[in-house]
Amino acid sequence: MSVDPVGFLPAVRDIVSGQAPEASAQAGPIDFAGWMAREIGSVNEKIVNSDQLLQRLATGQVDNLHQVMIGLEEAKLSFQLLVQVRNKLLEAYQDIMRMQV
Amino acid sequence: MDYFSAFAISGSGMSVEKLRLDVTALNLANVNSTRGGAGTLYQPLTVVSTAKSGAFAAALAGAGNAALGAKVYEVRPSPMPVRLVYEPSHPDADGKGFVAYPGINSVNEMVTLIAATRAYEANVAALNAAKVMALKTLEIGGN
Repeated sequence: MSVDPVGFLPAVRDIVSGQAPEASAQAGPIDFAGWMAREIGSVNEKIVNSDQLLQRLATGQVDNLHQVMIGLEEAKLSFQLLVQVRNKLLEAYQDIMRMQV
Repeated sequence: MDYFSAFAISGSGMSVEKLRLDVTALNLANVNSTRGGAGTLYQPLTVVSTAKSGAFAAALAGAGNAALGAKVYEVRPSPMPVRLVYEPSHPDADGKGFVAYPGINSVNEMVTLIAATRAYEANVAALNAAKVMALKTLEIGGN
């Protein structure tokens, strides 16, 4: 009785033989990092914006209270989306780190 | 996030209803004013609101819905006849002893007030529904 070698997955063969995978995966990490940085930047923008709104509310320069509340809600939602993305990332990372080699 | 467009739409509705409340309060405050700003009698005001223009085309194109919503078309004086009250001792009485008060119907104003409050509440409810949906979306994949 013989066991077939793991040769049916081209990607696995590439990784095992130390060759670089195909092009799509190569550009992936850079793009994702850029996307992540952009998203974090936009979330930060929202938080800074809500901070400014609160400041203007405190100094009486706001004529519409609901705009402040909507701004705060937007910041909160953006931040929670970021937290969820971070949770998913960390989960994936830990899954990989727990993997038996 | 496209949920922010729902926030913007509800926010525009809230702005309109807030102005309606302001104008109604102004009318109620002047219900007994016998002199206006420039020697004329105070005219009761009405807020006329409209949907934002070009909204339908934008919705059809599927492009950002943030331009949708309501806006104030104008705040115009309502053509109500003045209320004449016989008060000969009043300093603003005319030759026959009649004082002209603005044609403000307190009952109508109260109804407008309640309608504006309810419409504002409806906008808040819509916004909260959008928020609940967005938060629910973030629960996808959670345990």
